[in-house]
Amino acid sequence: MNSSTANPLIELRSVVKVYNSTADSVTALNGIDLQIFPGEFLVVTGKSGSGKTTLVNMVTGLDRSTSGEIWVDSEPLHKFGSERAAKLRGRTMGVVFQSFELLPTLTVLQNVMLPMDFAGRASRSEQRKRAMNLLEQVDIADHAKKLPTALSGGQQQRLSIARAMANNPAILVADEPTGSLDSATANAVVDIFKKLAQEGKTIFLVTHDKDIAKRGSRMITLSDGQIVG
Amino acid sequence: MFRARWYKVFNDLFGNKTRTLLIVLSMSVGLFALGIILSARTILSEGLAESFAAITPSSGTVRTIELFDEDFIQSIRSMKDVQEADARRNISARVQTASGEWKNITIFVVADYDDIRVNKVASQSGPWPPPEREVLIERAALSVIEAQVGDVVLVKFPNDVERKIRIAGTAYDPAQLPAQIDGTPYGYITFDTLNWFGESYGFNELHVLATHPEDKAWAQQVVNRVKDKAEKSGYTIPLSMTAEPGQLPMNDVLQGILLLMGMLGILSLFLSIFLVVNTVSALLTQQQRQIGVMKAVGGSTLQILGMYLVMVLAYGVLALLIAIPFGVVGARGLSNALAGFFNFDIYSMDLPPQTFLIQIAIGLVLPVLASLVPFLSSLRISAAEAMSSYSIGRGRFGKNWIDQLLSGANIWFMRNLSIRSILLSVRNTFRNKGRLTLTLITLTLGSATFISVFNVRDSLSHTVDDMIKWFNCDIMLTFDRTYLADKVEFSALTVPGVTQTDVWIQLPTRLIRSDDSESGMIYMFAPTVHPESLIVSPTIAEGRWLMPDDDNAVVVPSAFLQDEPELHLGGDIVLKLDGKEHTFKIVGTYVGMAILPLVYTNYEYITQITNRIGEADALMVKMERHDPAYVDAATRALEDHFEQIGVRVSMVSTINNERTEAEASFDAIVALLLVMAILLALVGGLGLMGTMSINVLERTREIGVLRAIGAPNRGVASVFILEGIVIGLMSWAMGAVLAIPISQGLNQALGQAVMGVPLSYSYSIQGLWTWLVVVILLSVLASFIPARNASRLTVREVLAYE
Ligand SMILES: Nc1ncnc2c1ncn2[C@@H]1O[C@H](COP(=O)(O)OP(=O)(O)OP(=O)(O)O)[C@@H](O)[C@H]1O
Ligand SMILES: [Mg+2]
Repeated sequence: MNSSTANPLIELRSVVKVYNSTADSVTALNGIDLQIFPGEFLVVTGKSGSGKTTLVNMVTGLDRSTSGEIWVDSEPLHKFGSERAAKLRGRTMGVVFQSFELLPTLTVLQNVMLPMDFAGRASRSEQRKRAMNLLEQVDIADHAKKLPTALSGGQQQRLSIARAMANNPAILVADEPTGSLDSATANAVVDIFKKLAQEGKTIFLVTHDKDIAKRGSRMITLSDGQIVG
Repeated sequence: MFRARWYKVFNDLFGNKTRTLLIVLSMSVGLFALGIILSARTILSEGLAESFAAITPSSGTVRTIELFDEDFIQSIRSMKDVQEADARRNISARVQTASGEWKNITIFVVADYDDIRVNKVASQSGPWPPPEREVLIERAALSVIEAQVGDVVLVKFPNDVERKIRIAGTAYDPAQLPAQIDGTPYGYITFDTLNWFGESYGFNELHVLATHPEDKAWAQQVVNRVKDKAEKSGYTIPLSMTAEPGQLPMNDVLQGILLLMGMLGILSLFLSIFLVVNTVSALLTQQQRQIGVMKAVGGSTLQILGMYLVMVLAYGVLALLIAIPFGVVGARGLSNALAGFFNFDIYSMDLPPQTFLIQIAIGLVLPVLASLVPFLSSLRISAAEAMSSYSIGRGRFGKNWIDQLLSGANIWFMRNLSIRSILLSVRNTFRNKGRLTLTLITLTLGSATFISVFNVRDSLSHTVDDMIKWFNCDIMLTFDRTYLADKVEFSALTVPGVTQTDVWIQLPTRLIRSDDSESGMIYMFAPTVHPESLIVSPTIAEGRWLMPDDDNAVVVPSAFLQDEPELHLGGDIVLKLDGKEHTFKIVGTYVGMAILPLVYTNYEYITQITNRIGEADALMVKMERHDPAYVDAATRALEDHFEQIGVRVSMVSTINNERTEAEASFDAIVALLLVMAILLALVGGLGLMGTMSINVLERTREIGVLRAIGAPNRGVASVFILEGIVIGLMSWAMGAVLAIPISQGLNQALGQAVMGVPLSYSYSIQGLWTWLVVVILLSVLASFIPARNASRLTVREVLAYE
């Protein structure tokens, strides 16, 4: 892979995000320029409140930027409404959240199948096969019939990675996926990302853990909404 | 195998049974109440029309003093515009009840019980026709004479013949006013039995059916022609009346009830709409985070909306599965009870399809619309916001005046109270203002309706008081003819306990219209008008009461002016007295029913123009004490006394009895109102419980947090219970205010239907406090159960709860 010659998979140009609440306004992102190339394992660090989650929301289209441009897979995400953003996300990205955000009334297997269902690409038996496959990849295939609440934190996070992989997206975005896990479990989860990166996925991982940050292929640090290194 | 998303819908529905049950119950109570009211209304009004049509009701009745025979009936039947005619003998007799009291009874004698052509009477139980020397009693009258089938009762005829007669069975005669309403029971015997009582053969009551019975004016003309013919044949006609076409005697009251039910139906319609909307929006608020997650994993708005629509429709279907069958059972029960009271049969319990359609529309379409609203608004917030904890805190408890007020510093009674939980609850209550508003609207509507129902009940008895109030006496005696007023008054005063007496004269009269047609019989009451009169003014609707120097002034019931469009306040009225026409001036109208029209004129003037100066046929007596036992004893003493001096008393009534009877005629309405009150309490109460429980369920996570930071279980539960009470009290207070216009509207409508004027307005303090107690109990119960359940879960379970 030669990252300097390929087109960036994700490109941010002067992205600004201001939160306006009744009391005051907070500039969470203040002019972010960033290019992420296919196959990169980008790690974003920064202290609490520096704008990491906000950046994830911008990249994934879960929230709209105040100004600036966001290009994903050559499409202008900053111009998309929430519907088109959801479509684009469904096709190109899988998202992993710090607090897992699993659907509590669906089984482990069904949680993985749900994004496939929304994307509506494969037949139901194929969806099932693929989902089982993904669960095997993250080592929780034995728990396929359980409800997510019956899993440990590490297992829940593996499940949410499997879910993010459901539609075989090119990009995986993870916001503090190890934030609520102990270091051994966290390392195992990062191993999965590492493996996926080797398989050619582009990884966008947020963490404030120094050791984990070292395992990416590139690292940027946020401070007060700006990239400082 | 289903798609993954339908598993979510299915699991959400059946995984959380408590929530599903609450949602379904809240939705179904409203739909149930609506179903009962709408269906019962239709069943009753159709049953009424059908059962009345089934008896071939007469267009009018003509009574004669002299008896007539079959030939005369035949001659009436052969009249050109008479479709059918039939006759019977009508005898006002007395019957002794089990308690020894003598009561009036109307005995009908019919020649051929199997060939009654007009105002048909049917067998209800026992032999048919009535066996010789036995009597059949109208089915609604048994309770009035305190007897059962098989009992032997003592009956006294006007000719003083007394016979012990066995009650062989019951008959059904819906053309008569139900016995328990006017207190007059009806009995049916044959001419053989009449003979046994020493009376001769012959009829005195003609029932006439005109050729176009639906045309009241025509029917009146035909009845008048029959009356003329009878008069020409030499009969004296004391009474002839035309019935309202196709109506039972109690039609006005029943229509009032149906109207009331209709209005309550509309109220419960709103109530159920709010319940449904509230429940659905509560559900969606609860699911907001999960909706955000589904968007994050690529679900489009349409896909997610589809899931929730299916879910909401499933709740609707479940609610309808409960509401429709229970509504049907309830409607039939209510219809039967009311039909029993008004003494008519319901032939068909078929339910009107529009009730189901309305229920289905509200149960299915409305939830869909209700869930669209939060969906459309969720389009405005991003998936990130939906999932973010910021949005829970943001904009909900801020700087507006309610929040400021509740910050505690401003609430004087809280300054010295260290009950933090009160504050916490009040704040919680106000956190989600949209939901709070919906909940409050629903509960306020329920509260207001419940309190209004009590208000109408109070207003009814207030109205009875107003109607009775103008009899400033304890006993009224009516004589068989006129006697010298001085003589009856002086001799009454010799009876111990009598403090004051007064007289009046009452004459049958008839209204002569400008086209020379005559009205049915009207009673003219001519009381003395002076400061010591025992008759004080009835409640005047318009104009004024009689004055001492009035001559031809007359006061008529307010309903009368509606029935007779020619008449108006201040205008003339021509009344026929003793065969002569006299012109009177209408100076006022009083609050009164149209069932038995009474008009009031001045005693002095009437005795003058009818050559009865110094005479009276009714005596009013005021006693020292007014309790029923004392008054009843005095009544017997008075009767004995008059018998000794040769004055024949034909009718006695005490004010106590009059009041009971007047109230009895409102009993059905009151009973119905109570049923409605209970129903609404149920709807409002279950709605309250449902809404609150959903509120608590929604915050199960919060309960976990409270406990995680060390709040004891009891403390957690009490926060929610207090919150429930706060909501309950607010809805109670607002309902109490809203009840004022609602009950005024109900009073207006009910009064107009029954009496032609609104009921005397009265606010029921009892209803207010009853509902307060109910609201507090329900609030505690509604918030306690889910709060206790939540505080029983382990902290981990709760935090994982969605
Ligand atoms: N929805 C919101 N409304 C208002 N302000 C917000 C919102 N979300 C974030 N902020 C503010 O924006 C800034 C950046 O927040 P963000 O959540 O991106 O930080 P972070 O780097 O993810 O922190 P952490 O490491 O604690 O997760 C913070 O000052 C935060 O208070
Ligand atoms: Mg963050």
